[in-house]
Amino acid sequence: MIRAGSIGPAEITAARKRLPTAFAATSWVWSGIGGMAFLAWLILLAVWFDITPTRLAGGLKGLLVILAQMFPPSPGAQWADILHGLLQSVAMAFLGTVIAAIIALPLGFFGARNIVLNAAAHFSVRRFYDGFRGIDQLIWALAFVRAFGLGPLAGLMAIIAAEVFVLAKLLAEAVENTNKAPSEAITAAGGSRLLAIRFGVVPQILPIYLAQILYAFESNTRSATILGVVGAGGIGLQIAERIKVRYWDEVCFIIILILITVALIDRCSATIRSRCA
Amino acid sequence: MSIARESLRIHGLSCRFGAVTAVDEIDLDVPAGQMLAVIGRSGAGKSTLLRMINRLQEPSTGSIAYGPTDVTALRGRALRDWRRDCAMIFQQFNLIGRADVLTNVLIGRLNHRPWLPSLLGLFTEAERAMAVQALDRFGLLDIALQRADTLSGGQQQRVALCRALLQEPRMLLADEPIASLDPHNARLVMDALRQINREDGLTILANLHHLDTARAYCDRVVALDRGRIVFDDIPDRLTPDVIMAIYNITEQEFHAADTPVAEPMRQIQ
Ligand SMILES: Nc1ncnc2c1ncn2[C@@H]1O[C@H](COP(=O)(O)OP(=O)(O)O)[C@@H](O)[C@H]1O
Ligand SMILES: [Mg+2]
Repeated sequence: MIRAGSIGPAEITAARKRLPTAFAATSWVWSGIGGMAFLAWLILLAVWFDITPTRLAGGLKGLLVILAQMFPPSPGAQWADILHGLLQSVAMAFLGTVIAAIIALPLGFFGARNIVLNAAAHFSVRRFYDGFRGIDQLIWALAFVRAFGLGPLAGLMAIIAAEVFVLAKLLAEAVENTNKAPSEAITAAGGSRLLAIRFGVVPQILPIYLAQILYAFESNTRSATILGVVGAGGIGLQIAERIKVRYWDEVCFIIILILITVALIDRCSATIRSRCA
Repeated sequence: MSIARESLRIHGLSCRFGAVTAVDEIDLDVPAGQMLAVIGRSGAGKSTLLRMINRLQEPSTGSIAYGPTDVTALRGRALRDWRRDCAMIFQQFNLIGRADVLTNVLIGRLNHRPWLPSLLGLFTEAERAMAVQALDRFGLLDIALQRADTLSGGQQQRVALCRALLQEPRMLLADEPIASLDPHNARLVMDALRQINREDGLTILANLHHLDTARAYCDRVVALDRGRIVFDDIPDRLTPDVIMAIYNITEQEFHAADTPVAEPMRQIQ
């Protein structure tokens, strides 16, 4: 019988002899050294960036002044411009996400180990996605503004370019994590590989992918608000202009509008996701 | 040190899901140390009965008592302690697939210790020694550091048994413990259950789908049909005629949902 009360030093020694690895202790010395090194690194960074209490206090005071000027929020005179910018941002995010999702669909399958069986091919495809995933949306936007000119087209392209590789990677992982039992059953029933994917894999990943697309839409709505700052269309331009002239109450109003919009999208997408689960 | 084992007394226990009465006014006394088989066709209410004892499922009416303890009234800490005392074995093993066997077994200690070290995954040497003893007992020491999802079903269920034993339970509830196993592994698991029942004196309630398994391993068989007890006796009295009388079908038809049979192996020394 196994009882905690019956375990003494003799029993521990016996068990240790039976299976020494079960007792492999975590080394406190090394954890301690690691912790100290981490702390030292933090302090070094603070010194490098010249983070001092006086500077922090000064910044905080400036922040409070801005905060005070934000209230009460006010729409200002250019209601129409604000609404137009916001709608443009949402539209860019929506269209961009949908197009990115369509492009990412085949890319995702090509990135999955259980679809592309050649290990070298799989590895290089995935590193390719990873490479492009490293380029931020704002960098894409700056490039596309040069290429396509100012306006929402550049922003749209930036959203697509940044999102495609993220969705492709997520989809590839979803495909890799599917249960292989259903596709095995289809193969066993004489189905082709394509059919095995169609009926064995696709039904499993569809709700996951949909959830990812909806989340991408919400996240792109948030990030699309900044694209206007570099001239790539949307509400960001309105914010940037008002910050320049310190109309903080109007900035605050726009921020609240953005928060409401994102919350609404989040709500809708949660409803859709729960229906598709 | 030995923990007092008490008898389990169930009185007028019912569980309704809307219009469905899954368990209907059951009275059942299980003396300490008994190995009891609960049989019945799919949907008879076997799982619901076990889940109510463990309080994973709230009864609609009736009472469950363990010795002087009113199980149905337990809340919070006391309820968690009760769950530790009646360890559950699941049909699908419910191991943490990504963790190694040793960690899975140590999970059984969680209710015995403060939460912070548990959260950090720190276990004492005594607990590790317990885990080694348990794994050694069922011949699982060689795979102690293997990931749980790399094991065969039979190995996984025996690891789940070790986890249950580390809870130092007073009772074992096994819900179709062998329904996902092949005959050989089913036998290994049933033998292990029997061994625990005999050597440790643990009360065991096992939902079993196959009558031969119930006959071969248990002291007593309770048959359920539509939530009611329709047979309660020693296994020898569970003859084909009795099956015909209570279920109005032959034993072959009873087994229609094809689950493996387990015959006892020669007792492991
Ligand atoms: N959570 C639940 N909600 C609704 N009905 C349930 C639930 N659990 C079980 N049932 C119903 O209760 C009855 C008994 O189920 P169960 O105890 O699982 O039977 P068994 O384990 O004997 O196959 C079945 O009709 C089942 O559909
Ligand atoms: Mg069941």
